Amino acid sequence: MATITLSVNFSGGLETLFANRTAHTVSIPARVPVDAALWDTWPAAPESAGAPDADAVTMKPADMAYLLHHLRTRVLTARPELFLEHGTVRPGILALINDADWELEGEGAALLHDEDEVVFISTLHGG
Amino acid sequence: MSSCGNPSTESDALMSRRPKFDKSKHCVKCKVALGNIVIRHAVYCKECFFSLVAFKFRRALEPFVNAKPDGPRRTALKPAGNLLLGFSGGLGSTVLLDLVHRSYIANRKDELRRDGGKDHPRHDKVWKRVIVCYVELCDALPGRKDKISEVAEAVAQYEGVEFVPLRVQDAFDPLWWRCIYGEDAVSQLRINLENDELTSMLTNPLSTNPLESLRSYLSSLPTSTAVCSALHALTRVLLLHTAAETDSSHLLLGTSLTSLAISLIRGIGQGAGFNIEQEIQEEWLSDIRPPNFDSNDRANENQKGVRVIRPLRDVGLKECAFWAWWEKLRIVGEDRTGWPDSRQEIGGLTKDFIMGLEKDYPSTVSTIVRTCAKLSPRGEVSGKCVLCERPAQEGVQEWKSRISVRTTAQSVDATAPPLPAPLQADNASATRLASHLCYACHTTLTSRSARPPPPLYLSATKTSSTTLPVWVAPRIMRKVGEDEMRATVQEFLIEE
Repeated sequence: MATITLSVNFSGGLETLFANRTAHTVSIPARVPVDAALWDTWPAAPESAGAPDADAVTMKPADMAYLLHHLRTRVLTARPELFLEHGTVRPGILALINDADWELEGEGAALLHDEDEVVFISTLHGG
Repeated sequence: MSSCGNPSTESDALMSRRPKFDKSKHCVKCKVALGNIVIRHAVYCKECFFSLVAFKFRRALEPFVNAKPDGPRRTALKPAGNLLLGFSGGLGSTVLLDLVHRSYIANRKDELRRDGGKDHPRHDKVWKRVIVCYVELCDALPGRKDKISEVAEAVAQYEGVEFVPLRVQDAFDPLWWRCIYGEDAVSQLRINLENDELTSMLTNPLSTNPLESLRSYLSSLPTSTAVCSALHALTRVLLLHTAAETDSSHLLLGTSLTSLAISLIRGIGQGAGFNIEQEIQEEWLSDIRPPNFDSNDRANENQKGVRVIRPLRDVGLKECAFWAWWEKLRIVGEDRTGWPDSRQEIGGLTKDFIMGLEKDYPSTVSTIVRTCAKLSPRGEVSGKCVLCERPAQEGVQEWKSRISVRTTAQSVDATAPPLPAPLQADNASATRLASHLCYACHTTLTSRSARPPPPLYLSATKTSSTTLPVWVAPRIMRKVGEDEMRATVQEFLIEE
């Protein structure tokens, strides 16, 4: 099983939730379980020892919904409620995939590929 | 996916979510390039997005540049004074500064190089001076960092722009006021917040510690909402007087469509519905004359008016964020609502509501603003509120006294401990401030919550009387000029 490597950037104050770093390089499995309940136990590196049998569960290509889960559980350092709400980004946070609005790709359902660039921008300071 | 049944028992219960754009992924404007952004269900490519935002900015600003909007717009922009830009370091004002620089400073230089003939009138600057004013709030709210130097750095990147930093405590600083309006206009009032009539007295000597006065003022406010509302009003009036000081005919604010919808709903929720027109656009004229003012000079008189414009009122927060990201603009400010220990206030709750609404129903925010723009308040204007300097509705105090249980000055005098010395100094000059305030400002100062808010500052003690901003006393005490008196009684005069 393979992993994909993504470049993830945070802007507009969101970086404070991610160890004050704006740019991150994140590796996630290329395929993840369809059932989101299994994501908590799913390893970030599939080849690691004790990895569950991928053939036993229905799988799908990694998407933005999985990336959000991965960021919350493995990268976020403070106050997850300021980043996610009801399984997606909080209102006021925008996402771009390869320089395009993620709404064009189906938001959480947008599929991710190796070397994709994902950007999260907070608009919570409006004026 | 959104559920319309029980997905565990019905295999087709999950309905696929509707895409957030109307037709294809191609730009609706050029119809060739693949889209980069979805704006209220319409897809735009990067190139068309930039021209769209620049067009919306100019459409909201240029018809209001000339004192009287007439003549062809683009070639004949002749403002009566300079330009002041209110800068908070947030998304809106950062994008606004970039657009102003791009449209009226950098562009003009490009034209000059291309066409030659530097004295051609086409190359004249629209505004002789473009001034950026930043009001620092770090001393007012706990847990804030002083950002003046960061903001100065951000502004310095733009050539041809001056920077004026202020601190919110300047609103209580007689020295700051003296610089603008001279020695004669300086006086200060203290008010007693124990009763709803807000008895006020002149302070003598003047307060020499503006920060202490600011903190005493904010600590004495009854709710977290009142604190946020007061800071908003102080910042606004500081900007207006700075505009007067810098001979600016226009004050631009970076309020985006989303922020405008939030401030309109918040204003209505706090009793400022009468000022809904001013929240969108206003013309402000200072009542206090600067020392060098010549009332016979007609041109001088025209220059004293300030037109407050929000050129991003058709541009949503999402568009501002994409503009800032693609243009690599640095956002130096931080979220200005609330402070670490504050309870949720009306402004914050309204913001959460509108942001959530915009995410699921992006067109609703524009509908809020367009609907509010059609509203006009009932009732006559009784004058300007001495605190926020916006029109006050006539008969507000009579109406309030009929519908609410109020604490009057007499009932408080009977039970309260003796007032501090400045308030006792000259009872003959006691003024009931309530009659000079608009409904919203009176509510800000007097409307108490069942649960008192957490203390704003650990060191400050809550007092029953507090000093008011420096612009209040001169406006209450000002002598009405002969011309103004004549204009008031004009219709009753009998011609000789």
